[in-house]
Parts: sequence; structure tokens; C-alpha cells
Amino acid sequence: MREFAGACCKAERVARRTKLHLPAMTAMFVVLGMTARAAEPSLEYAVKGAYLYKFASFVEWPQTAFGEADGAVNVCIVGRDPFGPELDQAVAGQRLGPRAIVLRRIAVATRDSGCHIMFVGGSNAQSVAAALAAVRGTPVLTVTDVARPGGANGIIAFAIENNRVRFDIDDRAAGENGIQVRAPLLALARAVRPRGAP
Amino acid sequence: MTRWAGLFRLWKGTPSIALLGAVGLLIAGVALTVWQEQTYRAQKSREIAVQAQILAASVTAAVVFDDNRTAQDYLNALAVNPELEAAAVYDEAGNLFAGFSRPDALPPAGRVTARESSVEGGRLHMLQPVIQNGVSVGVVYLRAVTESLAQRILRYAAIMLLAVMAALLVAVLASAHRTLTRANAALEKQAEDLAETNRRLHAEIEEREKAEDALRHSQKMEAIGQLSGGVAHDFNNLLTIIKGNLQLLQRRMIQGRTDVQRYVDSAMEGLNRAAVLTQRLLAFSRRQPLSPQPVNLSRLVANMQELLRHSVGDKVEIACQLDAEWWTLCDPNQMENVILNLAINARDAMSGGGKVFIQTSDIQLENAATAYEDIMKGDYVRLSVRDTGSGMPEEVLNKAIDPFFTTKPLGQGTGLGLSVSFGYIRQSNGYLNIESEVGKGTTITILMPRHALAIPLAQDKMTAS
Repeated sequence: MREFAGACCKAERVARRTKLHLPAMTAMFVVLGMTARAAEPSLEYAVKGAYLYKFASFVEWPQTAFGEADGAVNVCIVGRDPFGPELDQAVAGQRLGPRAIVLRRIAVATRDSGCHIMFVGGSNAQSVAAALAAVRGTPVLTVTDVARPGGANGIIAFAIENNRVRFDIDDRAAGENGIQVRAPLLALARAVRPRGAP
Repeated sequence: MTRWAGLFRLWKGTPSIALLGAVGLLIAGVALTVWQEQTYRAQKSREIAVQAQILAASVTAAVVFDDNRTAQDYLNALAVNPELEAAAVYDEAGNLFAGFSRPDALPPAGRVTARESSVEGGRLHMLQPVIQNGVSVGVVYLRAVTESLAQRILRYAAIMLLAVMAALLVAVLASAHRTLTRANAALEKQAEDLAETNRRLHAEIEEREKAEDALRHSQKMEAIGQLSGGVAHDFNNLLTIIKGNLQLLQRRMIQGRTDVQRYVDSAMEGLNRAAVLTQRLLAFSRRQPLSPQPVNLSRLVANMQELLRHSVGDKVEIACQLDAEWWTLCDPNQMENVILNLAINARDAMSGGGKVFIQTSDIQLENAATAYEDIMKGDYVRLSVRDTGSGMPEEVLNKAIDPFFTTKPLGQGTGLGLSVSFGYIRQSNGYLNIESEVGKGTTITILMPRHALAIPLAQDKMTAS
């Protein structure tokens, strides 16, 4: 059996999928032409940003997490924001069924932040560990930028592998937060910490 | 008959019906094959579509999160289906995301160009969009090998073969029906011919019977004529004798003479002869009373040897072989008459002289011998009279026993001798048989049933000695 991996045009795909406007696309093509490196900071965060809201399709929150039947899915960026305005443009108009996806930036995370997906960038005001601790036990899908072994990681922690953006999933933490990460997403994870794990 | 005719018409119609049936069968076979083919394609199509849908659902996350390795795992899992020749996942721009193909098959295209599923060159190209959150994020492509035409034809060959065989069978039956119909028609015609022949035969038999009746009638008339002639002639002679003698007697008496005794005797003799003639006629008509008594034929013949010799004259020699010892029951006088009659007939058959053999013997008939076909088995006394005379031709032999039939000139025979003898023998429960060969002679055989109760054998022997 032969396998055909279509890795050549990743940047283009990402650009299309994230619906970047023309200048950004042009910039990306230039970058691609120059380096063809997926790990290039802005491209990396474009991909991570796109993933951020796409996780919504593969996660189930308890009904209580949404005030109304068609309440918005709040994607929060806490502290440092590596995505920039491109993410605002990418999220604009995205929906999860009847729910709109709304991007919010907050400085400090609390139990009442009303976030469903929370990218914890960490800042002087609130460390990553503190932000994670603040929302522990509430239905929030926490996402951290770089997986650190033994460190403060969210339910989903991005990682770079073979020049690709991958992620680890802490399903146990998801269980503690009362949210369900669906199997297709678990199947894509680089590593999964199962629910029964210590 | 009308029923048969109806059936016949039905038979006649059968070949065309059978032909129609055969054609129908073939058409049905082809239709069935086409239908099965379509069903097969539709089913295969559905199967592959379902697999494509499952794959599309499975690889959604992998496509969304750009994980072609996981997508590849899903695709590899499909390899267990031998019908799948190639499979691929394309991203939303139509570029190859992940794919596999079998070693001898074309790899999936680098870009997906087609929009819809298609069947091409015995291959099913199935496209299924990958939908995530209501948005198409890619396309799943499956290429399945449908069975080759040869394989399918082979699969349908059985059906077609059956259909063809059934058609052939029907055709053979039809031809058999036709042959049978023809044979039936021929048979019917033969039967009709046969019936016609039978009718003609019956008509001919009737005509023949009529002709025979007429012949018999004419024979009877002829016989009556002969009888009348013979009897009239005989009586006339006798009457002449009687009249002559009476006239002589009358003349003598007028002359007063008394020597008239011989005229009276002559007249009386004539009267006696007339009486005998009457007796014979009566015997012929079987009105003559018989007085049967136990008779030993050997002794009877022995006693009348002298009479026989006088009757046949000097030219004819009589030889007797008298071995019969059993007794029989009959009228001895009539039996004597019969034997005398036969001897005289024998003499008449030998105008130039000859020999008459008279034999008697005892015989036991166990089985019906050919010469005595209708005779009951038992003990009999046989008497045969054989001459070395002229014999009788067939037509004479056949009429020999008929009354009044005679080959002798008018006046010499009444034609009653053999007939009366036959009548008498039958009346005495005996049998009379005539064998004759022209130029060699005639044998008359008489069989009389043994009279067992008469006298014990020992006494019989004593008496005989």
C-alpha cells in the first residue's frame, strides 16, 4: 500500500481555512516561498488560532454551561495574546450549529468569566497555573500554548511535532471540568491522559 | 369425436405456443440478467457510498486538524475491503490529503477534479464530502472495482444456460407434440380405413351369405328335382311291373285259368320293393323307428360276407380283417344296410374291378385326432370300407353326404345311400368320415361308441368263440 501525504501546501490550506484576507495571504505566500517552515511564529499561531475555535465541534459541554439554547460559544484569550487580530477575522461568522462563536480577550480568568474555551497565555497578572486553577471544576476547555511535561497544562496543550501543530489531551482534567472531549479529537491527540490516570 | 377434434386443434396450436414460451423464457432470462446487473450495481454503489460516508465521518477531525497520519490510518483500515482499489481524502481545496492504492492499481489523483460519483471502465468512483459543522472541509474518494464483465457474464451464464435449456426443452416438447399430432392423425386415418374395410367386409359377408342361401335353395330345389325324378322313375318301374302282372292276372282270370300264382308273386314283389323304397325315404327323413341292440360289428360283417360277395359281383374281391371285439349299440338291420350300401358304392367306383377292404377294430381316442376333430374322447369300434376305385374329386367329396346327390346316371341311384347311412350313424351316436383321393380310392370310416354295459368282456369272448 502506498500512502500519499499532502503536506506540501499546508500554508495555503491553513490560509484558506482561516479565511485570511488578501494581504495576510500574500504575506503568508511570501513567507512560505522564503522558508516553507510551518513553525514560523505567525503561521504557527494562525494554525493554533484556527484550531482553538475548531475544538468546539469536538467537545461537549454540559447544558448548564450555556445560558440559552442558542447562546454563544465564548472563546477567551486570557493574558498574553499570541494570535493578534487575524484570529478575530477568522472567528468572525463562525458558528457551532445555532451558536455563534465569539472571541473575547480577558486579563484575568475567574470562575464567572463565562468562557467555554479558554486559551491561557499567562501574564504577570495571572500565571498559567493560577488561571487554570481558577476555572478548575467549571465547564471550560482550557488550552495552553506549549506542552510542558509536569508543568501547568490545560486540557489541551499544543505541541510542535515534525513541523506540525499537534496537541496533547488531558482527559482527566476534562472530566474534572465536566466536559466531554469526543473520540475523534482524542484520536488525533499526540498523547492522552486518560480519565482513570493518577 | 368432436372432443378429439378439439384436442387435435389444441395439439396443432401447441408448437407456436411453445415457441412463444421459449422466446418468452429467453426474454425473461435476459431481463432477469439485466435487472440483476442493475440491482448488483445499485447495491455495490450503496455499499461503497456507505463506506465513503463512514470514512468521511471518521476523518472529519483529522482533516480539520490537519492530521493526515490519522487520516491515513482510517484509509488503511479500508484496505481490508478487497473491492476497494484506491481511497483518498482531499482537503477543501481539492488537494490530496491522504490516500492509498493497491500495488497494481492507479494511485489516486493529486487533485480531485470530479464533482460527482461515476462508473467508468468497470470501476466505481465514489465521492463523498467531508462535512464539519455544516461546512464541507474536504472530500473522500473511493475507487471500487466492480466485477469484470466476464465475471458477471459468467455469473449470469448459469441463468442464461437454464433459460436456454428450458427453451430447448420446450422446443423439443413442441416438436414431439407435432410428431405425436401427425402420428395421431395417421393413426386416426388408419382406424377410419380399417373401419371402412370392416364395413365392406361385413357387406361382402352378407352378400356371400345371401348368395349361399340362394345356392342352398337352388341345391335344395335341384335335390327335390332329383328326388322327384328318381322316386317317380323307381315307382313308375314298380307300378309298371305291378300293373303288367295285374293285367296278365286279369286276362288269365277272364280265361278262367288258375295258373296265376306267379303274376301275383311278381306283383307282390313289386309292391315289396315299393315298400322298401318308402322305408328308405322314411329312414332318410329319420322317421323310421330304430330298434338298437348290442351288436358286434366283426360278427355282423362276418355274417353278411356271402351277401356282400353277391352284391359286388365277380369282378370285385372283398377282403375282411375283423379285429373288433367290443360291442356297440345299434340297429343291426340298418347297420347291414349301411355296410351293403358302402360295398355297393365301392363296387360302383371300380367299374373295371378291384378290391374292397373291410376292417373292424377297437380304438381308444385319448386325444382328438386330426381326422376326428369333433369327436369326444373314449372307446370306439371302428369299421372302415376301403376301395381301390376312382376316388372322388374335392367338389364331389364335399357333396357326397348331401341327400339325393349322386354321380350315377338317372335311375341307377337315388343319391340317398350315403346320406341315409350318415343320418343313421349320427342317430346311433356314431361318426362317419370320408377320405378320398382321385385315382387311388376312397375310405369310409365309421366310429361307433363302445357299448360297455352290454356283456362282460370274458363272456363276450366266450360268446365270440
